[in-house]
Formats: sequence, C-alpha cells, structure tokens
Amino acid sequence: MEKKKLTIHLKVWRQKDADSKGKFVNYTVNDVNPDMSFLEMLDVLNEELIKKDEEPIEFDNDCREGICGMCGSVINGTAHGPQSGMTTCDVRMRMFKDGETIVVEPFRARAFPVIKDLAVDRSALDRIMSKGGYTSVRTGGVPEALSVPVPKPNADEAMDMAACIGCGACVAACPNASAALFVGAKVSHLALLPQGRPEAARRVERMVAQMDEEGFGACSNHGECEAVCPKEISITAIGRMRREYLKAMFK
Amino acid sequence: MRFKMILASSLSKKIYMSIAGLVWSAFLLVHLLGNLQLLNPDRDPFNKYSYFLTHQTGEFIYLAEFLLAFFFITHFLYAIWVQIGNWRARPHGYSMVRWAKNTSKRSLGSVTMIYTGALVLIFLVLHLIHFKYGEVVYYTPKGYTHQIRDMYFTVMEFFKNPVNVFFYVAVMVLLGFHLSHGAWSAFQSLGLSGKRFTPFIYTIGVLFAIVVAVGFVFLPLWIYFTRGGAL
Amino acid sequence: MKLDSKVPGGHLSEKWDNHKDALKLVSPKNKRNFSVIVVGTGLAGASAAASLGELGYKVINLCIQDSPRRAHSIAAQGGINAAKNYQNDNDSIWRLFYDTIKGGDYRAREANVYRLAQVSNAIIDQAVAQGVPFAREYGGYFANRSFGGALVSRTFYARGQTGQQLLLGAYGALMRQVDEGNVRLFPRREMVDLVVINGKARGIVARNLITGELETYMADAVILATGGYGVAYFLSTNAINSNASAVWRAHKKGAFFGNPCFVQIHPTCIPRSGDYQSKLTLMSESLRNDGRVWVPLKKGDKRHPNDIPEEERDYYLERKYPTFGNMVPRDVASRNAKMVCDEGRGVGETGMAVYLDFRDAIRDLGRETIEERYGNLFEMYKDITGEDAYEVPMRIYPAVHYTMGGLWVDYNLMSTVPGLFVLGEANFSDHGANRLGASALMQGLADGYFIIPYTIADYLAGTKLEKVSEDNEAFKEAKEEARSRYEKLLSVKGNKTVREFHRELGDILWNKVGMSRNEQGLKEAIEEISKLREEYWNNVRVAGEMNTMNKNLEMAGRVADFLELAELMAIDALHRTESCGGHFREESQTPEGEALRDDENFSYVAAWEFKETGKWEMHKEDLKFEFVTPTQRSYK
Repeated sequence: MEKKKLTIHLKVWRQKDADSKGKFVNYTVNDVNPDMSFLEMLDVLNEELIKKDEEPIEFDNDCREGICGMCGSVINGTAHGPQSGMTTCDVRMRMFKDGETIVVEPFRARAFPVIKDLAVDRSALDRIMSKGGYTSVRTGGVPEALSVPVPKPNADEAMDMAACIGCGACVAACPNASAALFVGAKVSHLALLPQGRPEAARRVERMVAQMDEEGFGACSNHGECEAVCPKEISITAIGRMRREYLKAMFK
Repeated sequence: MRFKMILASSLSKKIYMSIAGLVWSAFLLVHLLGNLQLLNPDRDPFNKYSYFLTHQTGEFIYLAEFLLAFFFITHFLYAIWVQIGNWRARPHGYSMVRWAKNTSKRSLGSVTMIYTGALVLIFLVLHLIHFKYGEVVYYTPKGYTHQIRDMYFTVMEFFKNPVNVFFYVAVMVLLGFHLSHGAWSAFQSLGLSGKRFTPFIYTIGVLFAIVVAVGFVFLPLWIYFTRGGAL
Repeated sequence: MKLDSKVPGGHLSEKWDNHKDALKLVSPKNKRNFSVIVVGTGLAGASAAASLGELGYKVINLCIQDSPRRAHSIAAQGGINAAKNYQNDNDSIWRLFYDTIKGGDYRAREANVYRLAQVSNAIIDQAVAQGVPFAREYGGYFANRSFGGALVSRTFYARGQTGQQLLLGAYGALMRQVDEGNVRLFPRREMVDLVVINGKARGIVARNLITGELETYMADAVILATGGYGVAYFLSTNAINSNASAVWRAHKKGAFFGNPCFVQIHPTCIPRSGDYQSKLTLMSESLRNDGRVWVPLKKGDKRHPNDIPEEERDYYLERKYPTFGNMVPRDVASRNAKMVCDEGRGVGETGMAVYLDFRDAIRDLGRETIEERYGNLFEMYKDITGEDAYEVPMRIYPAVHYTMGGLWVDYNLMSTVPGLFVLGEANFSDHGANRLGASALMQGLADGYFIIPYTIADYLAGTKLEKVSEDNEAFKEAKEEARSRYEKLLSVKGNKTVREFHRELGDILWNKVGMSRNEQGLKEAIEEISKLREEYWNNVRVAGEMNTMNKNLEMAGRVADFLELAELMAIDALHRTESCGGHFREESQTPEGEALRDDENFSYVAAWEFKETGKWEMHKEDLKFEFVTPTQRSYK
C-alpha cells in the first residue's frame, strides 16, 4: 500500500518584517507523502531549514482542521489553494503533481499588511466586528430562550451566514480586496434573526463605515469570494447587506 | 457621517453606479429598437422618429438629455472613484493569479469594466460628434411641408467607411462585455439578490448584453454590406 | 498549607444562591478603579472579559492568536448541554448534575458540578439573545439531541459548529466592550510569567509575538482562561498553539495543579499517517452508532480489508461488551483499540488504527441513509485520507482530546495564589476524571458569564490591594527571567529541533501516561522525561532571533514547560493507583478488565505544589459525597 512520494518545488514569499521588501525564494522538498497536509509539508521544510541554520518560514495556523480561520495563503494563485470549500490547512499534497512548482504568497491587501513571510495582520476584521458584529445585550439581561421563536428557514440561513470563520480569503481573492462578503455574512446572520433586528440599521452603517475606513476595496460582484470561501458563503450575503444598508439610508 | 454614508461609502457609491447603469441599459434598449428602423429601405420613418424626438417632445427632450448626461457622468465619476479605491486596496499584487472556478462570476467582462467603460466614454463623445453634432442634411419627407434633418442619410454615409464600421463594431463588442457583468451586477449592488433570483438575473444580464451587443454590431455591418452602396 | 475549597454550606440546591448572597459587591463607581487581566479569549476568557467589561471594570484581555475569535473553543462540534427539559423527557438540573458527576467517575466536587448544571440554562438564554443560530424545528423552537450516551436530549447544537457559534457570541460581546473602551485587547501576545506581589497576583509578563518584545501588564487580579495541556502529547486534537505555559508559569509561582493525570482520549479520530503528522482530527463519536469496529484476527494481516473474510475479523467491542457493543464510553473504546494494536493486530500503514466499518450499515440501511447521517464526516475523512469510506472501512484511532486536570481552584474559581482566578479547561474543577460530551462548552461559559463576575467582586471588595507600578522589582525580575530563558533557548544551538523533542515527549506520554498506565511504565516515564528535559536544555536547536516573529522560539518555550508538566502528570498518575475515568491503572481493574475505582483511598483531588523543577508536594482536598452515592460503572 506504500504510496508514491512526491518531489515538490516551492516558490515562497519571504519578507523579514512589515517594513522590509520581500522576495520569492525557491525550495525543494523531497519525499513528500501525498497524505501530508500542505502545512505539514511546510513543517517538514522548516525542520530542514532549522537544521541548516536558516530561518524557518513563518505562517499563521492553529486548529489545522479548517475551522479557526487562522491559516491562509494564496497557493498557485488561488486563496486557500486549488480546491473549493477548503482552508489552507485542509489542502493535501495529493492535490499536486510530482515535480510541480507551487507558488505560495501571503494574502495581499492594503488592510492586511504582511507581518512576516506568509503571516499577515487581519486585525482590520476585528475592528469591523467591534462596530456591530453582535447584539448589544449584557450578560444576564436576556429573556428566556423560548420567548422568541425563530422560523426554521431563517435559523438555517442565519447559520449559513454565521459559518464565516473570518479567515480573510474573501478579501485575498477579491480583485478589489473587498471585505464585503465578510461584513455581509455577519450583517446577514444577525439581520435574519429577531434578536438582531433592533440594531440592524446601526450595525450595517457602522460596520460598513469601518470597512471603508480600513482601506478595503468596494465589491464589484466578481464572486471570487464565494468561490474561495472555505465555508462556501453565498454572495447573497452581500445582497442582503446592501438591502439592509438601503433601509438604513432611508432611516 | 450621514453624508458620507449616503453618498460616499463603498456601498452607496455602487448604488448610484447601479441606478445610473440601469438607466443607461434601458436607454440602450430603446436606442436599439429605434435604430432598427434603419433596416427599413424607406428613410422616412427613421427620420420622422428622429424628428419627433428632437422637435415634438417639447421640454422633455432636454430633461431626457440632461438625465442621461447626469447619469452617465455619475456612473463615470463614481466608477473612477471606486476604481482608484480598489487599486489602492491592493498596492502589492499577486505574482500568480488563478481564478477560482466554482461559483465565481468573475469573467473577462467583470475584470475589464473600467477599461471597457473608458472606451465607451470615448466612443460616446465621438458618437455625439458624428451624429448629433455631425453634418446636417435636410430634406422634406413625404406628407411633410417642411424640411427635417435626414439622419438616415448621415448614418448611411457614415457606415460606408469601413474604418467607421470597424470602430463601431469593436466598441459595441466591448460594450457587450461591459454589460455582461454590469447588467446583473447592478441588481446585486442594489441588494436585489437571492438564492434563486441571483442565478436568474445573472442569466438575464448576460442575455441582455448579447442582445444589445449583437443588435448594435449588426446595424453597421448590415448597412455596410447591403445598403451602404445603394445610396 | 490547608486547601480550603470554600464550598458553602446548606443543601446542594441552595449552595450557590446562598453563596452569591454572601459575596461582597463593588460599587458601580468603584468598578472603574479596578483592573483585571484576562488571559485567553476562548469561551471562558471572552465571556469573562466581556462580562467584566460590561460591569465597568477595566479589563485587559490578551490572546495568543491574531484574533480573539480563533481560540480553540471554536473546534467543538457536538453541542452544549443544558437542563432546559424542552423535550419533555424529564430532564432536570439534578439529572444533568448527576450525569456529569457520574460521568466524571466521582472525582469532582459536588457543589461545583451542581452549580454548573444550575447555570446551564442561563447560558442558553444568553447565547440565543446574542444571536447564536441554534438548530430549530419548524415551529421555531429548539431542536435538541442526545449526546454521548445520555438518556435525555439536552444538547443544543448549531450544525457541527456549536463551539464556533458560541464563541462568536462571546467574541461579539467582547468586541462590543472593546469598542466601548472597557476592554483593551492585545492579540498575538503570549503570557510568559505571572507577577505576584505581596502574595497576590498583580500582573503578567507577555511576549509580543510580532515584535518579540516582553511587555508587562498590571492589574488588581488576573484571570487565566488558557485552555488545556493536551498538546503535551504532541499529537492531539488540540490546536497547534494550544499550550500550558500560562498555567505552568502560574503553577511555578504558587498555584497548585489539580489532578494533572486526568486526560481524556477520544476514540474516533483519524489515525496518523506518518512522522510528519502535526495534528489529529476528531470525527464525531456518533459514527459508532452505525459503524462496526474490528481488526483482523491474525497478527500482521496486511490484506486489503475487503478481502478479509468475515470469520477472520474480530469485532472486539461487540465480542467483549455484548450489551453496549460499539457504543461503550470513550475511555473503554479507546483503551480497547490500543490493546488490539499493541497485540500487533492494528491496521493501516502504521499499524496504529482499527477499522470502523459501515459495510453492514450500508447493506441494511442503504447508502442514502448513511450519507444523510454522516455525509459530511465521510467527506472530511476523504479529504484527509483520500479514501472513500463507503467502499473501504474507515481507519480510526484514539487521540488526546481534553484535559480534566488543571490549576486547582476553590468554589470561587480562585487558585491558591490570591487574586489569580482560573476558568474553563485551564482549571481542574468540574469534570472529575472524565468529561462528558457537550460539557466543556457549558463549563467555559458558566465560569465566564455567570460565576467569575460575582466571585471576583468579592475578592476585589474584600482585599487590601497595594499600589504597584511597573518599576516594582517583581515585574523587572519576571521580565528578566523570561528574557534570559528565551536567550538560553536560542543559545544552545544543539542538534535536535524543538519538534523532535516534542515528538519524543509525546511518544513517552502516549505510551506510558496514555490510555493505559502501570507502575513500571510510569516510573520509566518519569525518568525518561527528566532525562529528555536535561537533554533539551543542552541540545535543542532553536532558529532565528528573539526580537521578531518567531514561532519556533514560541514553541521552544512551550515545549520546555511541557517537559516539566509531563513529569508531574506521570507522578500524579503513579501516585493514583486506582483507575478512574480517563485514568486507567492496569493494577486496578475488575476481573473483566474494567476500571476499578478505590473510593476509600483516592476520593480526593490531588493538588500539587511546585517546590523546584522535578519536585512537588501533594496536598489533598477530600471529596465528600453528601448527595450522591458513588457507584461503579459497568458497560457489559
């Protein structure tokens, strides 16, 4: 059952820190087990680099099961790699050919400055969330859970929208580096639930204002975001955000 | 704050662009239908239609022209504004870009909007120079007692020149690309989207673009190859 | 030092209410004058920071990830328990309490567990108001399910993302406080030391993971909500950055460590496929409802599973436990998998896996039904292994999942260091020797939303807190100590990488302090760990520099701590010669090979006091069961 090992050539973006100029560096990793995850392949490369007294490649990652949203690189020109519905940590080496060259770049956007190598600063997304990615309730000051029924279709669609893991791939893949899908998903999640309605207008106004403040681009409906989203969130989220925004404009 | 929200946010900018784009899309359709009268070997209906628009609608024509101009400029200025923002949003591009296939609506049309748009703008200026402010020839159509402009003649003359035909055909193809993304996208930007509606409007948008482009491409070609030499 | 659990008197059901009534309050105006550091932004940390911020305290909140939303609570799939009785199946606070304390094999405090069951309902109310999209039925009310063998359906869930959704709720509340200026958030910070002044926790030293600088934070109290220590095993279902350094440094500054040997091992994970493996992925236990677990009868049978005839297969769980079969509890299933693999009958390339076969289920129920029930899990399995479980049996193996042990805390969630509170998985409190499914989320949020806001007020109002400044010697010392530690790690320049050491440590723990433990193995483990630790400080190779982002250095610091903690885990496991919950001592089993508790001698919490590296003193907190009678589990 021994599987054929792969030889993989890598072209990886290396950048010392936010202020330095970066460049691509080529590496070759031999004996890559096709069952390896992409990040494990980088682990193996890093082990080799450490032994050679070179600096390992920095990349963000945490849960390695596609749910925390911490990892994220542009692999061969596509955010989170070639297969849809996946995070970078979900990418497996069997998706590549023996001898293939893989280009690995950080997520690029003005709002996501590079920290080091493949690690970028996505705190802009947190700042957007701080402007309204919640219902303004205090701990304890809430009604009994049964007091507000939620129609199942709404609950289900809210869940679809709430599935966003905040990885930022939508921004990375968007030709305009727009965060519309990220914001749209959160606005939609809460707009679909009765609990989120009281401050729906304030939420969308403030979150969009912060999104603009952070220097993201404007959505022009390319739909690349939906195509790379690991949770496959539909751009109808953006449509709903715009409806909410229009409503807010007339308030 | 309020002012910014209503006029200058990334969402509101697109709202105005969409409205303007839809107005122009509607205008294009009307324009195309009107132009189909060029297929009629009789020059009178077309010229009378043209005369009606310019002389018999009272103040309306000025209002219409004003609105069209207003929406065009709105569309154009917001487009520049948005595009500069979008360029600035990614100062360092990728060395390799591979479009995600899947559900992506990215297309040649969608990524060239600003360029096709700019060419359409140039075209529009030339178009107005060619026809609205071009050579004016008068004649008296059947049943009329006064002279009106023979727009039909101007068009036919214009498209005798293969260079003109080529230019118009090329720009109309580009316009088709522009509309192939712009038409459905306007609905999405206005928040008119949904699980079933989005695929529907996307298809309609593409069909609309094809109809408009094919229509406007067909006219000069048809004139050049069949009627052009007849006059 | 005598351990005082501060459990209030009165009947079980009145203890918490009585206690709350007796707790001191801080006046609204005065809250502004108190500052609290919260380390960690998982369910416990985020809910605590948000709740304290809402009350008006000045909160400093740090997290190790780039965003508070990424804490490992997000990975919890199954659900969260609450005693709502929405399904009318006669559930109650008592039953939730009883199931939890029994599931923990009677090694938790009655009063704590009862309080947990009591506040469980308020958690659901809170989460719903925050917009957590729990599954609903057509009438608009909640869908609940039975989880982990519970006899009632009390588990609330949000698709397979319950942890993620609950955390987003808490994170939202936290971000609201950040926006309002009540909480100052410091992401990408790792706590490297606790600062104790005049015997009270007054601050921490943290490393800025972007610049590498050491920073000091001062406050009137410190809350640790930094999760468990499963990553000590190298391979676990925990996240890569999950670590024990915060609790460990606090432990070394005087906080006792409770029951470090209590580790939960989850039976249905995707097995490792090679040495490069960095992490194990959990698959829902529900798979065991329809899958049949087996290994070949013969050792080293390398045939393709589908070529092995029925009579040469050993459905060992069904054979040994005819009543429960494949549905035996987590620890029993895990232990048995290890046993058959140790016999050399394991499958797959590494021989460290057993089959979970759906052939019969597909035959009986149809592929469609199986797809409906487990489609997403089969897909995930395929993404990871490249194998189609509809055609070939799945391979599974147990993996470290959760640590019940943690810093010892009293009923107020305060550790043995005054002013240091510990919440969530980081403390030892509510799960005893084994945690039930869907209880971890409940505990984290109970601690953060509904317990700490009350008990910390009592501490702040009732304690004389001297003025301190960053110039205080204790801060300088802690910072200097941290710096020299990192410098030392960088200067060794040995031959083995941090990862190699970590993997070696993991192997020792997995083999000798894992699912099945015995005296000899534990003694060997203690020796091997201390030897490995010595080698570590002489032969580790850490890349890069201190004053930059350097994940290798971060990991080096964490592994150094794991190397100390691991020894304590082994020592604790060695001293506890009974079997209970996730702690199975081969010397203490029934004739049928089941875990045998020794209530007479071990009905206590072992709280370890740090003396010096490799030396601890044990303190006992006796567990008294006034309201329930411990019974022996049986799954035959």
